[in-house]
Amino acid sequence: MTTGDLAATQPNSAVVTAGSSEPAELPVRAGIGRLFIAPLLIWLGFTLAMPLAYCVWISLTNANTIGGVPRFVGLANYITVLRDGTMSGPFPLSLAWAFGGAVLQTLMAAGAAMLLHRKFRGQHIARTWIMASWVVPTIVTAFLWRWMLNADFGVVNHILLSINIIAEPIDFLGDPDYAFATVTWVNAWRWFPLMTLLILAALTRVAPEYYEAARVEGANNWQLFTKVTLPFIQPVLYVVGLLGTLWSINVFDIIWLTTKGGPLAATKTMPVAIYERAFQQFSLGEAAAMSMLLALFLLVFAVLFIKFVPRGASEQEVL
Amino acid sequence: MSAHRVGLTIRYGLTIVLLAIIGAPFIWMVMSSFQPTSVLIQPDILFSAEAFTLDNYRRLPTQANFLLFLSNSLIVALASTLIAVPLALLAAYSVYRTRYRGRRTIYILLIVVYVFPGILLLAPLFRLFALAGVLNTLASLIIINVTFAVPFSVWLMRGFFNSIPEGIEEAAAIDGANDLQILWKMIVPLTAPGIIVTGTYTFVFCWTEFLFASVFLIDDDLKTLTIGLEGLVSQYSIDWGLLSAAAVMTAVPVVALFAFAGRFFVEGVTSGASK
Repeated sequence: MTTGDLAATQPNSAVVTAGSSEPAELPVRAGIGRLFIAPLLIWLGFTLAMPLAYCVWISLTNANTIGGVPRFVGLANYITVLRDGTMSGPFPLSLAWAFGGAVLQTLMAAGAAMLLHRKFRGQHIARTWIMASWVVPTIVTAFLWRWMLNADFGVVNHILLSINIIAEPIDFLGDPDYAFATVTWVNAWRWFPLMTLLILAALTRVAPEYYEAARVEGANNWQLFTKVTLPFIQPVLYVVGLLGTLWSINVFDIIWLTTKGGPLAATKTMPVAIYERAFQQFSLGEAAAMSMLLALFLLVFAVLFIKFVPRGASEQEVL
Repeated sequence: MSAHRVGLTIRYGLTIVLLAIIGAPFIWMVMSSFQPTSVLIQPDILFSAEAFTLDNYRRLPTQANFLLFLSNSLIVALASTLIAVPLALLAAYSVYRTRYRGRRTIYILLIVVYVFPGILLLAPLFRLFALAGVLNTLASLIIINVTFAVPFSVWLMRGFFNSIPEGIEEAAAIDGANDLQILWKMIVPLTAPGIIVTGTYTFVFCWTEFLFASVFLIDDDLKTLTIGLEGLVSQYSIDWGLLSAAAVMTAVPVVALFAFAGRFFVEGVTSGASK
């Protein structure tokens, strides 16, 4: 919350502690505000805080998914996890996954938003159409791409072979050289429509007068983009960048349903590794420790992001 | 051709490429669903008109209990939406239209929810749900879907709440309306597009959810579509024709819904931000 928008919401309030991390807000309908947030906080308390606390406890025990009474083992699970290759395998892979996904999805979404922003016949249909890959269940997405990318009789290999781009069929999901990039693409295909829509939403906020004014001043296309468009979509890019990264690192379903983390751990990101540890190696305590380390990392990331990434000069609160 | 025409042609070309990137896989899935698997697995034949068959769709009911899965998915998605939307509406009112100590912290906490991987909550929730007796019921899914859908829904309502003029609550209060009347008669109608947006978002979120459904539902007759379909995928020899038909049937309800309601969603999101 900036000084500017506090003043905007409360024209009479002149006293604002600028610069502090949380400026003192003058209460507005404070009673009703607390009352209305309460149901959600209680809900999250039971379904998020409680299991989280429980997870902390599990991570300190030798609990397994087979049974038996868990025994307190202190930080042993954390030490195991820090030493067993998780930090040199799945963890960096998760970072690459998030980074690659962010770049690919932002480019696709920004491009798509630019195309669909300009008025043309069928614009509404096109905007709804592109949401198709987001609304179908991930299992359908996973099946679809496994089928199309199949090495023996998939349509993609068929086409690539017939126009002589490749000489041998590519096992996109089964070859360690291709699997990671392929799954990154499949995940981007599923998620970029939602991002497109959010960027479109921000683009709609740019009143045409701003462009006209800038043109009169002699701005070229690049300047229009950086000086007019970007400042307007920055607040949305900010939230999409933060949430998108968090969501992306936590993606499990697409990876599990296409490659199960393989081949040769080429797509074994943290969530997949955690799932395997818990439900295939039955080591619940270690899996919990891995989740806590991942959550801790994401928490630090989120805090740094909120603190250092510019939110954009917005007249309204974005986060 | 003038520069303008070239630009326009490039734009249309790129738009068609974009629509094809999204649409082609679905068209391919529908085409495959009308082919016998024996034809599908021949590398040199892409599509054979002579081999057109409805057999995959005919076999579907005997291979998987589709109607039951469908109704389970509907129950979960609708119930989650009915709980999530009021929660999100109240919370959005609180964080966007009121000011009190700790409000901003709460707002940031709502985003921080997504720091926790679903996978982290899987095991603890499994135990807690078992204790509470909701494990292996549709209720377990409804509960957790609401948890993960509401925080983003609150953010989606941002633009709708910001576009309500300042001070109308006070004006209404002077006219003698109480808080509930203000909420019900003014805020709800003014944010109606936002309510449709969050409702659609929650519905789609639940319809596509996989991880929790695969762990919390144990009985076959409780399975949702996504899990039912997964049962077919993981069979030892993959029957691509049957699977294509199953995937089509899983996608159709939500695509049909979105073809109808999607416009409201798309317009809602885009207009909501145009404060």
